[in-house]
Amino acid sequence: MSALDPNERRLTRALYRAGIRPHFRWRELRLLLVVAICLTVGWVSLESFRQGQIAIGDAALLAVYLVALGVIHVAFVVTGRRMDQILFPTAGLLAGISLLVMNRLPQNLVVQQVGGMELPLGPLQLVWILLGFSLLAAIAIFVRSDGWLRRYKYTWAAAGIALLLLVFVFGSVVGGARLTLHIGPFSGQPSELLKVILVVFLAGYLAENRALLSSGTTRVGTFTLPPLPYLLPMLAMWGIALAIVIVQRDLGAALLYFLVFLGLLYVATRRAMYVLYGIILFLVGGALLYVLFTHVQDRINIWIDPFADPQGAGYQVIRALYAFGRGGILGTGLGAGLPSVGDVPSIPAIHTDFVFAAIAEEMGMLGALAVLGLYLVIAERGFRIAAAAADDFRALLATGLTLVIVVQAAIIAGGNLRVLPLTGVTLPFISYGGSSLLVNGAVIGLLLALSDRGVEAPPPGVRPNAVVRAAQRARAVGGRIEEALS
Amino acid sequence: MTGPRVALQKLRLHLRPRLQTHGATPALPGGLPSGPPRVSRSLLPLTLALAVAYAALAGGLAYWQVVQAQALTADPLNPLSLAAARSAPRGTIYDANGIVLASNVRGPNGERLRQYSYTIAAPVIGYSSATFGTAALERAYDAQLTGLVSLNPGDELLRKFRGQPYDPSDLHLSLDIQLQRVAADLLGDQTGAIVAIEPATGRILALVSSPTYNPNRVVDPNDGRQYMAGLQARDDSPLLDRATQGLYVPGSVFKIVTSIAALGSGAITPQTTYPDQPAELQTGFLVDGFRIHDFPRTVQTDHPLDYAEALEVSSNIWFAHAGLDTGAQNLTDWAARLGFGARIPFDLPTSPSQVTGGNGSLDGFQDRVELANAAYGQGEVLVTPLQMALVASTIADNGALMRPSLVDSLTASDGSVTRLEPQTWLQVCSFETAQIIRSAMQQAVEGEFAVAAAAKVPGVPTAGKSGTAQVGPNVAPHSWFIGYAPADAPRIAVAVIVENGGLGSQRAVPIGGRLMSAYLGVLR
Repeated sequence: MSALDPNERRLTRALYRAGIRPHFRWRELRLLLVVAICLTVGWVSLESFRQGQIAIGDAALLAVYLVALGVIHVAFVVTGRRMDQILFPTAGLLAGISLLVMNRLPQNLVVQQVGGMELPLGPLQLVWILLGFSLLAAIAIFVRSDGWLRRYKYTWAAAGIALLLLVFVFGSVVGGARLTLHIGPFSGQPSELLKVILVVFLAGYLAENRALLSSGTTRVGTFTLPPLPYLLPMLAMWGIALAIVIVQRDLGAALLYFLVFLGLLYVATRRAMYVLYGIILFLVGGALLYVLFTHVQDRINIWIDPFADPQGAGYQVIRALYAFGRGGILGTGLGAGLPSVGDVPSIPAIHTDFVFAAIAEEMGMLGALAVLGLYLVIAERGFRIAAAAADDFRALLATGLTLVIVVQAAIIAGGNLRVLPLTGVTLPFISYGGSSLLVNGAVIGLLLALSDRGVEAPPPGVRPNAVVRAAQRARAVGGRIEEALS
Repeated sequence: MTGPRVALQKLRLHLRPRLQTHGATPALPGGLPSGPPRVSRSLLPLTLALAVAYAALAGGLAYWQVVQAQALTADPLNPLSLAAARSAPRGTIYDANGIVLASNVRGPNGERLRQYSYTIAAPVIGYSSATFGTAALERAYDAQLTGLVSLNPGDELLRKFRGQPYDPSDLHLSLDIQLQRVAADLLGDQTGAIVAIEPATGRILALVSSPTYNPNRVVDPNDGRQYMAGLQARDDSPLLDRATQGLYVPGSVFKIVTSIAALGSGAITPQTTYPDQPAELQTGFLVDGFRIHDFPRTVQTDHPLDYAEALEVSSNIWFAHAGLDTGAQNLTDWAARLGFGARIPFDLPTSPSQVTGGNGSLDGFQDRVELANAAYGQGEVLVTPLQMALVASTIADNGALMRPSLVDSLTASDGSVTRLEPQTWLQVCSFETAQIIRSAMQQAVEGEFAVAAAAKVPGVPTAGKSGTAQVGPNVAPHSWFIGYAPADAPRIAVAVIVENGGLGSQRAVPIGGRLMSAYLGVLR
């Protein structure tokens, strides 16, 4: 892009005259075109199978989605940020696959009333994707400073714990786990939000204390431990994870939090021993939970031998294995799988916890590997952003945000594949669910904002308007809370 | 430099320029600044950890979608088999001579129903019912009969491009329905089982379990549930395949197993005699306070018996001596070489046979008394008729045990045939050991004092062993026979049991003889 071609120069000049400083993103545009082609081929394949002839059917959902991707791309270009160009198309492809799958599954799995309209699974998922991507774009474009995250880490931690307590007390039990919080007409899964808050806090805490943490001073026998006061966060994290398992029965979130914590601790201190201690703590905690709680025992027993009770406890896992087996290498093809026998879904929770099995059945091992590959692309981009970050906080934040997505995907894919015990977390960008899509959109948005190293602070010299004044007041209040807490 | 190291180096180089340009603390000349290492330098191990985790996921995908794919698809619980059963006709099952055993008809409401031409084959064929699922061969070969699994693994990839994705195969069995008929008639309404095998191949020629059930009534949409409930309520378990899953005390037919162990381990030779044995015929053989007797009718001889004579007259005392000399460990080990102690790999579900209960201190046996009793098939010995047929087949095939099989070949709708070739399952004993036992078993049918004389096939050299298995003080013993014919070039090996049938020589032995005669085309 060193030499601008004449067309580009002409376009740039016109935009400059309108007061816009564009930064073209040709690589992103090319990748988005690939995404559009893939999704269109997928859509045609699905409709053709349904109708028995080459057809595209009612492609309104797909068209809306592709237009939305284009609009976001143009917004990125026009606002002129110098951000990563690969993350957004990657998330776009993942969410596009989700749209295909949700459109393909039995539509009556979820039906929600929205303003007098009945939205079934496919359109509903599109609404959530659009909301999530709007959040992604808004954060990527407007977040120009990380101070609001960096400065108030204890406030964030307090907010997170408050959120957790709120769920402990008011959460409603769905499917044996206390995960969902209802506020008025809205409901959501705060554990999704909590994972971001956790990363923000850990990044702030570790960036501040990593020098001390990584110079081990306390020696107990042959063990080198970090200075004891700094050991507390590890124990606190461990305790929180245990509490989540005990009170919320949410093994997946607990596992995710703890793994992300260990990953960040390692990146901050570069001490493998800490990770080892963490794993030992994890195993001790796991053993304790196994002995004390039947729901943990159930999960482990199903994992070890689902065929012990094929019509009962092991039903879901076995049905997922059948789906994998049916898929084979190339898959049955979109629409040709067996997601339901009659009206009953062949795998319970196929649109949330077991969407990976649904993909592996119809797109085969190659399709499933491609999906896993997309998460690794996110990992590569995220770590690259971390490596290039200007300081420790941003590096740790980028690492943590990346881990949140990539580790969560591994946990649920591993649970589907019986590589790990099954725990109910979503497959980022693909599983049905509003909380998950909004939060993961925000995560990618933050990563994009972090990848722009050009702009640090908001442009000065502008008369503070009402919004800015409100933000300043909020910052002052936050500062006072922060002082009180630290 | 090794491969991974080079890759690491490259990745480091890849990351470095950015670190230097944007680092918060620029590197000082002559070394890094003091303080903790750079955050970005820890990203490489983290990336590797993630790569390992994702490689494990890819491994999981490959395992389930490639390695296990066929097994999962063929699983009878897989809803796919129900879907396939609705959309495709089931393959036909034929006997060895091409006689139809199972085919498809339309039921009263136009639904697809299975029709079974011979109810005597029920223990082998089983049933395929919309209500009760599948059993026996209909279960074991469900995926092939519905066409869910192609015979050709390469086909699996291309299946989805075909108009009709299911390609049901026909089964051609080794079972000879005429011999099955003879065997069933010989048992009549007596409770018991018969297994007949071709020793050189392991092909099952007949497999009868009595009483049995009528599979046509099981699959009947109107009457099925009631009929099944009636079967399940009966005391004589008609749904149980006694031939493969019934566990019985074997009595003297087990002496062939003891012979293999004793000769194979070198504990006895054909010339071995026990000097006390003639006297013990009167007094009993005292083992640790327990007296072992021979049947009163055992012929009194003036000299100690050698191996062949002991088998001919079926001397418990002689085999108790031999068993004690062989030892618990040898007896268990050699029995295991015949397939004892584990499920027999077979198309039908099998129960494992046992030499002992296995929780005693003497290599699993409680004491020497149990070992001495086991040597002539009492004690804690429990066997399936199929297992004993395999014992006879092993001796007939000079020590090689062929894997038992019911299916000769499968035919796809395009006419392509897949043969299931005979496989040697276990090499049990040496040719010499088998020869010694062969001549002794022939003497046990054709000798002057032979107990199993009634098994003789007229004009054909015949070998065998009878058994009378004591099962309780006031209950008639099980009547057993195992054998094969012709003794010099065996074509059929059989095991016969009549539950509580009394003396082996009076019930099971003549049945075995008539069955072998019928198969060899000899009238008697």
